[in-house]
Amino acid sequence: MPPERRLRILQELLASGHGDRATARLCEVCAAVAGVSGAGIMLMSGDAPWGSVCNTNAVSALIEELQYTLGEGPCVDAYHHDRPVLEPDLADPITPRWLAFTPPAVKAGARAVFGFPLRIGALRLGALNLYCDQPGPLSDGQHADALVLAEVAAQTVLMMQANAPSGRLATELETGGDFKYVVHQASGMVAAQLDVGVGEAFARLRGFAFATDRSLEQVADEVVGRRLRFDDLSTGDPDPVL
Amino acid sequence: MSREAVLVRTLVELADTLVEDFDVVELLTLLTDRCVEVLDVTAAGLMLASPGGDLRVMASSSEAMRLVELFEIQADEGPCLDCFRTGKPVVNRTLGSTNLNWPHFAPQALEAGFLSVHALPMRLRGLTIGALNLFRATEGILDEADVDAAQAFADVATIAILQHRASLETQLLNTQLTQALNSRVVIEQAKGVVGEQAGLSMEEAFTRLRNHARNHNLRLVDVARGIVDGSLAPPSLDPLRTLEPTRPPLPAS
Repeated sequence: MPPERRLRILQELLASGHGDRATARLCEVCAAVAGVSGAGIMLMSGDAPWGSVCNTNAVSALIEELQYTLGEGPCVDAYHHDRPVLEPDLADPITPRWLAFTPPAVKAGARAVFGFPLRIGALRLGALNLYCDQPGPLSDGQHADALVLAEVAAQTVLMMQANAPSGRLATELETGGDFKYVVHQASGMVAAQLDVGVGEAFARLRGFAFATDRSLEQVADEVVGRRLRFDDLSTGDPDPVL
Repeated sequence: MSREAVLVRTLVELADTLVEDFDVVELLTLLTDRCVEVLDVTAAGLMLASPGGDLRVMASSSEAMRLVELFEIQADEGPCLDCFRTGKPVVNRTLGSTNLNWPHFAPQALEAGFLSVHALPMRLRGLTIGALNLFRATEGILDEADVDAAQAFADVATIAILQHRASLETQLLNTQLTQALNSRVVIEQAKGVVGEQAGLSMEEAFTRLRNHARNHNLRLVDVARGIVDGSLAPPSLDPLRTLEPTRPPLPAS
């Protein structure tokens, strides 16, 4: 990996300083260095994404939100397959994939999407998402930059956590990121309503969000706000309690 | 195979082991074995500084007691300690000579059958992390080509160790991040379970979990995990104390 590339990225990051906007700045540097329309960083573990460290704009946020809700998309694939996942023409792909993810992402303005695994050595933390508002592949230079950016991003996330008290998430990640805690609260509530494990409850929430064309977070908000219950299954679907 | 070819092969072999998840002790043992095979020396060992600064033997071409003892003694005196302290090579020290400042080490090395000792620094960018120790039981000096080759081995070992340390640090940080996120997730899930079963808001559910943890001297995350995995039933949690200030340290939603 060319050291001058890494140096340039680190200089950009260092110039941005620390503090509350550290995570936001990380994504801005990723988008600027890679020369794309927007960037986002998702942390993942096993089957369930943990949430978002940062994203640069509403489209990046939606790309992350869709993947969190649907469990499919470039970041999810990049993480699970441990390699870059490139879709240079999302509206007219050679091989259609991500049947649920693609229409809303295209509608929001993402015409090319790219996922790069966030990894250091054998460790995998999540994925870096880049999108362009025009179709077209990444140039060799952009691709090389993205690989370095994903590694730098992974190290930056770990370094942020380095000073946190044991068992607690670093303040920068806590305030700058979005870990969708309401979804986990809703999982607990649905688990109690249905007398099932939280893993299954999470899957039910996700299925309901998909079936009703809402985000997982919106559905979770309704559950926690006690406007939606999952324990009346007579209709096969949870009934809204209004 | 010429000596140069053996050297190159050894360096390539060492570089090949520098992949993810390599075993440091295995690599260093390979290195000391190769020193004895390739260089004109009888025995070789690698000493590394502990976090406290003491030199400890990490690998040796032989486990013979007489050799092991020669390494142990160098925590206090000897060529490795001198080399480690100065960061400079210590080569061709004849053990019979009187001007060695090693009153314990020198006689013991002689008794073990060695005639000369050598130590090469394990050094990268001003940081010395240990020394490669070579012993000869034959007359004559270790020639310059052998000294250069030994230093090349020591350099490879240094890079391997520093890389391994950086990787361990990364793994530790990753574990901490994972644990922090997992703890938070399980606490949120437990809030949901308790909130649902006891008809409490998320904030009240959190207070109840936290009070129970404090009253029973348990970790909050362990109480939460018990609730989520079903080993702790929500009704058995301590009841809410109504006068308790209910401002949790974590946001309620």
